Amino acid sequence: MLRVVFAALMLLFLPLSATAQDFQTLLQVHKDEIAKPSRRSVGPVLAELVASGHPALPAFLEAWQGKNVYQRLSDGLFFYIEDHGDTITLLDIETRNVSAQNVAAGTLDQIKPNGGVRRAIGEALVQFRLSAPDPAQRREALDAISRNLDPSQLGPLQASIADEPDAVLRLRKERLANYLIARFGDTSEARVAAIENLSDDLSVDGRAVLSQILRTRLTAAQNLPDDANVARILTPGDENLSRSAAYDMLVAQAGLPPIVTDQDVLKTIEANIDGGRSGGVALAAMTSWDMRYRTYDTLADQGLAPPRVTDLDAILANWTFAELYEETDTAVTTAATRIQESVATRVAFSQTVDIGLDAVSLASIYFLAAIGLAITFGVMGVINMAHGEFIMMGAYTGYVVQLFIPDYTLSLIVALPLSFAVTFAAGVAMERLVIRWLYHRPLETLLATFGISIALQQLAKNIFGTQARPLTSPGWLDGAWMINDVIQIAYIRIAIFVLAVLFLGLLLFVLKKTRLGLEVRAVTQNPRMASSMGINPDKINMLTFGLGSGIAGIAGVAIGLYAKVTSEMGSDYIVQSFMTVVVGGVGNVWGTLAGAGLIGVLQKWIEWLNPSNTLAAQTYMILFIILFIQFRPKGIVALKGRAAGD
Amino acid sequence: MTRPSDATPTSKPRSFIANNPSVLWFLLALALFTLGVTALSEATGSGVISTSFVKTLGKTLCLCLIAIAMDVVWGYCGILSLGHFAFFGIGGYAIGMWLMYARTQAIVVENLSASVIPPTPAELSDAIASQIFGVVGASEFPAIWAFSHSLVLQLAMVVLIPGLLALVFGWLAFRSRVTGVYLSILTQAMTLALALYLFQNDSGLRGNNGLSGLQNIPGFEQVPQAQISMAFFWASAVALGLGYVMFAWVLRGKFGNVIRAIRDDEARVRFLGYHVESYKLFIFTLTAIVAGIAGALYYPQAGIINPGEVAPIASIYLAVWVAIGGRGRLYGAVIGAALVSLLSSWFTGGGAPAINLGFYTIQWTDWWLVLLGFSFVAVTLFFPGGIGSLFDKLVRRSS
Repeated sequence: MLRVVFAALMLLFLPLSATAQDFQTLLQVHKDEIAKPSRRSVGPVLAELVASGHPALPAFLEAWQGKNVYQRLSDGLFFYIEDHGDTITLLDIETRNVSAQNVAAGTLDQIKPNGGVRRAIGEALVQFRLSAPDPAQRREALDAISRNLDPSQLGPLQASIADEPDAVLRLRKERLANYLIARFGDTSEARVAAIENLSDDLSVDGRAVLSQILRTRLTAAQNLPDDANVARILTPGDENLSRSAAYDMLVAQAGLPPIVTDQDVLKTIEANIDGGRSGGVALAAMTSWDMRYRTYDTLADQGLAPPRVTDLDAILANWTFAELYEETDTAVTTAATRIQESVATRVAFSQTVDIGLDAVSLASIYFLAAIGLAITFGVMGVINMAHGEFIMMGAYTGYVVQLFIPDYTLSLIVALPLSFAVTFAAGVAMERLVIRWLYHRPLETLLATFGISIALQQLAKNIFGTQARPLTSPGWLDGAWMINDVIQIAYIRIAIFVLAVLFLGLLLFVLKKTRLGLEVRAVTQNPRMASSMGINPDKINMLTFGLGSGIAGIAGVAIGLYAKVTSEMGSDYIVQSFMTVVVGGVGNVWGTLAGAGLIGVLQKWIEWLNPSNTLAAQTYMILFIILFIQFRPKGIVALKGRAAGD
Repeated sequence: MTRPSDATPTSKPRSFIANNPSVLWFLLALALFTLGVTALSEATGSGVISTSFVKTLGKTLCLCLIAIAMDVVWGYCGILSLGHFAFFGIGGYAIGMWLMYARTQAIVVENLSASVIPPTPAELSDAIASQIFGVVGASEFPAIWAFSHSLVLQLAMVVLIPGLLALVFGWLAFRSRVTGVYLSILTQAMTLALALYLFQNDSGLRGNNGLSGLQNIPGFEQVPQAQISMAFFWASAVALGLGYVMFAWVLRGKFGNVIRAIRDDEARVRFLGYHVESYKLFIFTLTAIVAGIAGALYYPQAGIINPGEVAPIASIYLAVWVAIGGRGRLYGAVIGAALVSLLSSWFTGGGAPAINLGFYTIQWTDWWLVLLGFSFVAVTLFFPGGIGSLFDKLVRRSS
């Protein structure tokens, strides 16, 4: 490794002196190792080649790695070739000038280094690629370095920073150099300074550097050496080190006799069975461990088995168990610990923000899914179990539109109003044909709409099949907005949030500023009074139902964009939508918003508390909602009037 | 207090049976049906009816039992519970825990008897636990299995757990005057929460796998399934008969009138001085217990129970059966449950012949739900009394 460092330094300071040498001659010195390289022999060869600093070297290494170098069998010289099919032209290994033409393929041997060798060549190439004119190559070189931090890379990396034209790459180089200094710097001060620089670095790489510096190993010693860099002392029996694990360490380290396991006890007893008895005890009596241990001890006394270790605690008390830093410099580990803590705080803060953003985007989905339901419920006192199927219908409309319009942006622009129109029509039809006749029987409306729901769901299954259909989002919605290394939010979620805000605004406008909204609010508050004021409640009911269903269709397109479109997608959202409406309070846009917000935040929060188990999160959330209803039976924003009704 | 609508206010109180002629007719029909099936079954009769169909019929009787419970809570008391299948499932799980424990214990004891050193009780229990919970990667008994070794205690659970759950849930809900569709949604949330809980692998009830092998009754391994299924068929029939009589008895007279009045106008009954919440809580809890018993009889015949059984959709179907059969009539619920569930298994089981329309062939496995959905809408719209109301017309014509 030292040789490589040396070589790298040589390369920096003595590039001119080496050019004088003929490259072919240089290669011939190691011709056997180059022609038949092995993982072991290639290292020194590469080091010497790099040390020569020959300008033809990078190209040669590339070709060598790419199996593009050939050796002439007659004299062992290396060439590049041009293959013209039946004839081959040999090119000089240094200048790429033509050396010979019309050479037969049989006189040449292609050099094929194996995977390990190619990787070693790649590592040697990194330093050349760091200054390569092609930014893609430079980026690759940086990737290679960050994959496997090595002290030898520091020199070339630092040398390449000054000439780096690309600002982004330059920043990355500086960051990587900082990582390398933090881990492998020469002086304690330099390393501490580099570690301090990591305090605002939340990236996985940066955090990995810190944890690499703070890597510990578990040690058992009767007396810890004075200069040991102790991370913490462990007591056998606590959660980090069980007593048996501690003892096993001593067994391995100090050659103490191993613990006799329960399994060993049984084996020994079985091995010494004599006529239904073992150690003088009848087998049938050995239904307790007490008896089994006693039998084993008898056998051990007879010398048939090693004695059990019974004074475990006394032995363990003689030893100190500690986690020692592999890094011996206390100044470095102290700084790293401090910075690690501050980074952890920042990461935790960012994660909170991230979860908050997730919750907002979840809330916007719930809002979109539930607002239509809330409107119909509020205005008509009718709960529409087929609402989920309207969501599905909207999503399938989007899917069908994409079949006809291949451009995703255009198809989305067409699909949004079209799905509104389709579900608006379906909603109006349902209101006219079914719900109108059941106005005074809300529970039966619930069941009748459920009948429609199962019929629609099965119809969708019959038409579109059971497999999920894709609703592809346009390219500009792919990807995510990275705020820092922890906080990121997918554009599609932002789009759904924007859509939800748009609909919130639109609904508020319609309800508060238009004639229709005025009439809707009048019917919501008192239908008979509204009707005597010349409002036709029948028409209002129909339009409201259409509006609610239409919004469900739009929600379907939005949901379909980030989840798959299936015939069952409606039932996935219907219960959540009910919860949103019930928690928020019916018939009020703000209530639904509050309900969606509460449920979204709550769900993400519970998921964060118990990330491994999303089912448990949902269970707890529903339990919470059941309890919540106890205290606010009419939801967060309670209405007066018909919806508040009975 | 005299009732103006009563045609014979001065007559002396008539007997329970005379007031409820339907009970007698129902018991007669049930007895005839049970005897008929017994005479035609493989185990005890001519063998026209296969054992699997006996099981289907036995399961249908259990569904009829939960349907009359649903009818009482919805058709008589006006509480549209969309969560009664949760109680049904709990009953099934409670009995399933014993069935599974006892059977696994028998197998494990059998296996371990070959070992040289006899196992300790702890080892035995560990072996049973890892046999049962191996599929969810656990090897210890969760706390809720504490009583699973005892049939008596688990049978008590069949009644107690649904009863307690319904009591607590109902008390919370009725106390805060949650009514109408809100209550429906809340009960749906309850069964969804239960289903989601059961779906978890660490719920202690084998998660998604559910409990299986329930058709094997410990201690009766040598008895052929044909006879076991007959026994369960009879038990289901007896339970249905008893349940029917019990509900008819509970709903008779003044108590029944209060219950019906709560359905028709809850506020008015409250103003008359009745403690509406207690009446509703009693009905809700009683029907939950009956649902639990029905579940405990159903799942040994089904052989397997998994969390999907308590998903909200099942409870909604229950409401559909009752609505089609006719609410407010106990026999209506029985007819609805039997008819729809048997038709459903006939159609989805591929029993119904496909209809060729020339341009398209209607496969009933695909179209049955569409038919059911729309016919349900039609029943709600045009036929709110359900099938049961036909009998009213019959009775009225004959009198």
